[in-house]
Amino acid sequence: MSGAIDDYVASLRRELAFDPALAGRLASEVEDHLRDAAEADPVWPSPEAERRAVERFGLSREIAAQFAIDAVDRHARRTWITLAVTVVVTFIAMRLRVIWLDDDVLSLAPLIDRYAFITALAVGVIAWFAFRQSLAALAICLGGLVASISAGIVRADLFANGAPVHVLLSAAGEVALVGVLSFHVIGLGRRLRRTAVLRRPGLEREGQ
Amino acid sequence: MLKGHLDAIVLATLEVGPAHGYAIIETIKQRSAGTFDLPEGTVYPALHRLEQAGLLSSAWTTPPNGRRRRVYSLTKAGSAALGERRKAWSRFSQAVDTALEGGRA
Repeated sequence: MSGAIDDYVASLRRELAFDPALAGRLASEVEDHLRDAAEADPVWPSPEAERRAVERFGLSREIAAQFAIDAVDRHARRTWITLAVTVVVTFIAMRLRVIWLDDDVLSLAPLIDRYAFITALAVGVIAWFAFRQSLAALAICLGGLVASISAGIVRADLFANGAPVHVLLSAAGEVALVGVLSFHVIGLGRRLRRTAVLRRPGLEREGQ
Repeated sequence: MLKGHLDAIVLATLEVGPAHGYAIIETIKQRSAGTFDLPEGTVYPALHRLEQAGLLSSAWTTPPNGRRRRVYSLTKAGSAALGERRKAWSRFSQAVDTALEGGRA
């Protein structure tokens, strides 16, 4: 028969399922803590000592929510750094294409290339100062960069026109970075949703 | 209000030497004479956050006649951060004291 400490540790593992490595590490650490606390209780050894140790520790969902909030902060920081690098690389790639093509033909593709990039940059700068965890702002930036990069590549028609290596490399770099950025934005969305579930009141699943 | 200062309190607790989670929360309770009565589990997200920031380091240790424990130590960056937070707290508390005393004058 499992005791209050075993039940609590199992519940904490479940709540921290979004990060298996953390769940494993913390489960051992928390179990040690709870056994120390139970042994220090005047009514030890008894199930009551275990129950009181668990009660003093706090709800597993609230502890997991704290970890989830910290994980969102770290993930958001990584996403913003990736966005900044992607913007710089996209700008460089855009300039390299313009120098190589050496034209200013007014057609739809260069306009999309330029204005989608400017939109992404402007939204990014505003969002950085106003709301750093805004998924919508990041999604707009990502959309702007995807539009800019696609239009730039279509406009230059790199392979058909025999683009030099530095232009091809810069295009490959911006495509790779936008892929990494998409991965981060999707991941951040998932983390925000999980955190919201953990913070939702009235969902105590551990019967404390 | 305490939660906003928990990281600094944890850093200060580890200034005297390495300790595991249970010892840290017990020290906090003793030093505050029971005033800081947070749920004990609250200290673990703070420890993890501080470790991620490079202000603490941790390692599993097994005493000769005890159970395995993760022990946390203050890093050099952690000591520096603690100094900064002490200064910031000192400025803040002086400002609050002055503001509160101002009404009595």
